[in-house]
Amino acid sequence: MSIARFMATAALAGIVALGLAGCGEPPQVVVYKQGKYQGKPDQRPWENAPLTYGHAKWTQGNEQSWTDEVNTRTQAQNEYVRIVHP
Amino acid sequence: MSKLGEVASWIGLLAALALAGPAWAQDVPTNQQLIEQQQQRRVEQPGNNAPVWREVRSGRSGSTLVPGNEMGVLILSSGQTWRAARVPLAFWGGLLIAAAIAALALFYLIRGMITVKEPPGGRLIRRFSAADRYAHWLLAMTWVVLAVTGLVISFGRDLLLPVIGYTLFSWLAILSKNVHNFAGPILIVAVPWMFVKYVRDNGIGVEDLKWFVHIFGYFRGREYPSARFNAGEKLVFWLLLVVFTTILVVTGLILNFSNFGQTRSTMQTANLIHMTTAYLAMAIAAVHIYLGTIGMAGAYRAMKEGYVTEAWAEHHHKRWYDDVKAGKSRQKFAASGEGTASASGATRTQTS
Amino acid sequence: MARMKFLCDAERCIACNGCTTACKNEHEVPWGVNRRRVVTVNDGVQGAEKSISVACMHCSDAPCIAVCPVDCMYHTEQGVVLHDKDLCIGCGYCFYACPFGAPQFPQQGAFGLRGKMDKCTFCAGGPEPDGSQAEFEKYGRNRLAEGKLPLCAEMCSTKALLAGDGDVIANIFRERVTVRGKGSEVWGWVTAYGKPGQGQPATQGGTK
Repeated sequence: MSIARFMATAALAGIVALGLAGCGEPPQVVVYKQGKYQGKPDQRPWENAPLTYGHAKWTQGNEQSWTDEVNTRTQAQNEYVRIVHP
Repeated sequence: MSKLGEVASWIGLLAALALAGPAWAQDVPTNQQLIEQQQQRRVEQPGNNAPVWREVRSGRSGSTLVPGNEMGVLILSSGQTWRAARVPLAFWGGLLIAAAIAALALFYLIRGMITVKEPPGGRLIRRFSAADRYAHWLLAMTWVVLAVTGLVISFGRDLLLPVIGYTLFSWLAILSKNVHNFAGPILIVAVPWMFVKYVRDNGIGVEDLKWFVHIFGYFRGREYPSARFNAGEKLVFWLLLVVFTTILVVTGLILNFSNFGQTRSTMQTANLIHMTTAYLAMAIAAVHIYLGTIGMAGAYRAMKEGYVTEAWAEHHHKRWYDDVKAGKSRQKFAASGEGTASASGATRTQTS
Repeated sequence: MARMKFLCDAERCIACNGCTTACKNEHEVPWGVNRRRVVTVNDGVQGAEKSISVACMHCSDAPCIAVCPVDCMYHTEQGVVLHDKDLCIGCGYCFYACPFGAPQFPQQGAFGLRGKMDKCTFCAGGPEPDGSQAEFEKYGRNRLAEGKLPLCAEMCSTKALLAGDGDVIANIFRERVTVRGKGSEVWGWVTAYGKPGQGQPATQGGTK
């Protein structure tokens, strides 16, 4: 009886400890930190080799060159660059 | 303190919204007013689209070619409210459940199992018919499965995920979600069945109030005489089954059958009610399960096999015991040999 | 360091639904799912009609990430909100939390059977190896890995929809607003990226 009671008490104490640990209220707010990777392991875009037939060119593994390439490409959406404004 | 204030402000906000909702809605400009404002702006201040943005922020639906529910809504703010409300709800709900279990563990350590001195030669009373027990166990098993799977979905990210990792926890969560969603609708049958089988002896009277006044005697071995169900059991019946579980079923169905075109706002509200009720219900159910298993000798056997001893009945349900003795109750003494361990298999096939 | 954002110019969007179609075609999105949609406010009302293209805005303080019970969503270094379909349980919490209605589910079945959530990936694929068949089947094409930008914006005929680094597209938009002298609202940015002055670049004039 006393052993059974001890086991039951220990089990209950374990459950309680787990339950209380869940009440830590970890912050649910996710704030994006600039340039900080916060997720699952994934290949970064600049770790790929540029397509052989593509226009986009960057140095494989160099983040800055990839960012520059993409930012340059973004200017294709700017018609004031594409078409000279009077 | 800030947490308390947060909860209080949420309750206040909900109450204020419930009361002032219709009145407040009248102050918001109608679509037609915003359209007229926008047409006016277009002439007076070209390029100022403030009325259109107000319309967008109000969550009203525009038109879109993409089929689907609420696809015309650009910004729906209530999601943020839902998200913010979940944090304190889960915190206090989790704390409540943990506190209930901790209190029961402490109580068990101090008081131990409540036992009744059994004099030799005591007779057995058939407390629950087979149908009573089947109704109870269908509900109980479904309920416990729902509680456990619900806790996995609710607290798993904070509790289990850091321990067992993403892949395993995701597998467990998928299982939990599907079991939860398919087990839930069983309650549509189980709750009314349970209600019909047990409502006759769950009438509330003055004696029940007196039972609660003498509740400390219950734990000291001097119980206030109760009928077939004592006031605590009646509280479990009315609050846990009739009120909470019914609320859980209704809100659960709203969330579970999302294919009837209910809006996100409806489902957010349903989810918050579902969460709150579930945490409260689980805390009460913990006490009920404790007293039905390790908390009180004879209680588990009563629901498993249907029989209680004479001494148990006299100690815990004096008025019911007197009725049984006088032949006024629907429950009878067991025939000789019925209900003992060797014969329990045979009696289980009986229905009454 | 790029921080990817979408910007939709309500003065320019003509509700052609080209972005919706392009997205659906590029990623071979499941039936019933539209990662991007065009909403017209006050449709047919002269002088008050505005169209806006909306998809996942890749919020800074993303509600979907906060509420996901299996923590399957994450920010990449470019601020793109991605999710892992292998972990997704299809509970619909992200769908409740999202202000933009971006998370979509391939089914709307009984018993909460929704299937795995699907949403705009900013053409950045998912956690699978970049350019792999598995990634394409689950998340669509990974254009960022090819040094390209989201197709919806790149093919937008009126350039109402801009996509790219927030600073770069904000500069493009600012130049445009200066030239035309009106319509400076940047739709959805306050909801998605916080108020100006909270560490996010603000554009000229009011932001929405």
